[in-house]
Amino acid sequence: MIDLLQSLIDGLGRGSIYALLALGIAVIFGVMHMVNFAHGELITVTAYIAFGVVVTTGWGWWAAAPLIFLGAVGTSVVIEFVAFRWVRGASDFTMLLTSFAVHFLVQAIFVMTMGASVRSFPRPEWADRIWSVGELNIQIVDVAVIGTTALTLAATVFLLQRTMFGISLRAAAEDFDAARLMGVKSNKVIRQAFILAGALAGIAAIFYLMRTGQARPTTGLSPLLKGILAAIIGGLGNMQGAVYGGLLLGVSEVLLRSWLPEDLVGITDGAVFALIALFFIFRPQGLLYVRSAERV
Amino acid sequence: MRLTRLLVALFAVVALVAAACGDEEDDAAPAAPATTAAPAVEEEMVDEEAMVDEEMVEEEAMVDEEAMALSFDVDAALDADLDNCGPAPSGDPFIIGFAADLSEVGGFADIPISEAGEYYVSLINCAGGIGGTPVEFVIEDVQGNPEVAQRATADLLEAGAHVILGPPFADVGDAVLQTVNASRAVIFVASTEPVLPDPSIYSFMTTFSDTQQAEAAAQFAIDSGITRAITFSSEGPYFGYNPETFAAKFTELGGELVLDVSYVPFEDFDFASHANEVAGVADGTEILYTAMIAPQLDALRGAIEERGIGTITYFGADAFGVSGITEIPNNEGVYWTDHGFGADGNRYERLNAGLAAKGMPSAAPGFAALAGDSITVAIQGFIDAGSTDPLAIAAAISQLAGVEAVTDTIGYAGTDGTPDTPVYILQILNGETSLAARMS
Repeated sequence: MIDLLQSLIDGLGRGSIYALLALGIAVIFGVMHMVNFAHGELITVTAYIAFGVVVTTGWGWWAAAPLIFLGAVGTSVVIEFVAFRWVRGASDFTMLLTSFAVHFLVQAIFVMTMGASVRSFPRPEWADRIWSVGELNIQIVDVAVIGTTALTLAATVFLLQRTMFGISLRAAAEDFDAARLMGVKSNKVIRQAFILAGALAGIAAIFYLMRTGQARPTTGLSPLLKGILAAIIGGLGNMQGAVYGGLLLGVSEVLLRSWLPEDLVGITDGAVFALIALFFIFRPQGLLYVRSAERV
Repeated sequence: MRLTRLLVALFAVVALVAAACGDEEDDAAPAAPATTAAPAVEEEMVDEEAMVDEEMVEEEAMVDEEAMALSFDVDAALDADLDNCGPAPSGDPFIIGFAADLSEVGGFADIPISEAGEYYVSLINCAGGIGGTPVEFVIEDVQGNPEVAQRATADLLEAGAHVILGPPFADVGDAVLQTVNASRAVIFVASTEPVLPDPSIYSFMTTFSDTQQAEAAAQFAIDSGITRAITFSSEGPYFGYNPETFAAKFTELGGELVLDVSYVPFEDFDFASHANEVAGVADGTEILYTAMIAPQLDALRGAIEERGIGTITYFGADAFGVSGITEIPNNEGVYWTDHGFGADGNRYERLNAGLAAKGMPSAAPGFAALAGDSITVAIQGFIDAGSTDPLAIAAAISQLAGVEAVTDTIGYAGTDGTPDTPVYILQILNGETSLAARMS
């Protein structure tokens, strides 16, 4: 029982980061009908920002955290402006290819400018600290990420439910063309969607980088894949589902890690994918059904 | 009489010029043709014999001169001043091709190696080349892709590379070997994968293999009086092979493997559950051996120490050296195997200091030094072969022994293509990198 509880806490800590990334992916999918494979580059860019701030300037994490957040938002806006704005009217396939192009381009730019080596930077001193509650070892960073994610999600719900931006965004996600006919400005709502996705990725990046303490050109790849997977589990385009998907994915990984025999731990990711495939046989629409209109 | 002497002299000159300007095959025996200058008239035998003797003396002098000219001094090259070079070497260059993986996959090794290689070659040419023969360094990007590697290697062959340097990973490296098809030596600069070297196809490595580095670590641990070990491993080459080999050697030497924990390289940073496993068996006297990258060790060590176990000895493979072990905060006392050690103005230090002075400080000083080693090996093969015939150079490389290179001495005679070169064991002590042992 203690082991299960321990795994649940560890899993929620991991899943919270996936949830934030999945939510960003779901937001973009909602307004553009595109799985944004460039979303992971927000993590990559901010990893190098963290490296620059923590190592080069020596300012530490109190300066790095807000700069990571702003870096993610800024990068998201730039990607939208430089890449996606020009293919807005194009087919979903074209937009998908554009997101791949951005993904590989950013990677190549970092390989050329920073090299392919791993760049280490110190993690916050408290990142490894634990609270021992009975037999439970609770990592402070897990508590921080779970708490911050809960607050972020609450703020996001408020934003989506109670503000004009949120209503426009949800309307666009429901039926983009109808929303435009109702006076929603497409450029504005899409730009705002990218700002929101960037902000969510920025918060995820702060905790992800606090754990990893490294930057390399492929830093964002693994979190991107986990984020997309979580978004798919939740029902692609469903924002609530993306959060559930992220948490479920994190908990599944940790539980499998602790349940599988030591010799089979290497297949954890494969086992998670197999379980997801099985899940989709019975529930092809994902955890939550998303009602979406085809763009014409 | 005068006409005959003139004709013989002219013939000798032509023969010498032909010998000097001959093709690659002729280079193998540069002075041979001149001995075919036989006299035609009997009464002039004495004079002609004297002539032939003179020619032979001249030829021997040339051979000696050429042998002397085809010499190479690593120290002279490293001490060359790029702002004040001697006369530029001329003639056909000795070409070293580098099938480099500059992608995000192998770029961590091959980008620093390319930069250091170009710098080292510029130093060599600045110092007069190989006795007047210029060295050319041609780089083709294999992009971490076996298919691209085949085309890139074909381009290097077409460019006339006499020796090929290879990328770090076996899948792409194998594509290079297939394309070269044993037509010349392939020297893998940064690879430690034991599957690559094979002298029968002239495939060599510049550095120690994973077997050597893991066994050296095990020997060092036992020599240090450590008898309990924990390994962190992941299935597959390098991340799995190193801990597995370490454990086998460690137990063979009388140690006990108390725990092997699986993890995901590059991905796992939440080591809470792993640390709980370690805390369940460790008494603090263990050595924890792994091939993970340094930032992962930082997270793992933090998690373990947070559980009250602060006296474990941490030991990593050479991945530590290239993934920032000196930069992570909690690195005091950590050991790792590396390719050399820069100190007291040794070659390793001079090469890296030179790069830094040129505004190109290497992201991986160990790999920069290996670039120097690989190029030195290729040049020594060329010198020993006395020829630009790629096969003769490859054969000569397989017989090299005790070559003074940048990291240390290096040789292949009697080996399986893995060099006879020491494994350096480095440690962070008082915040500085120090040499803990040099395992031969």
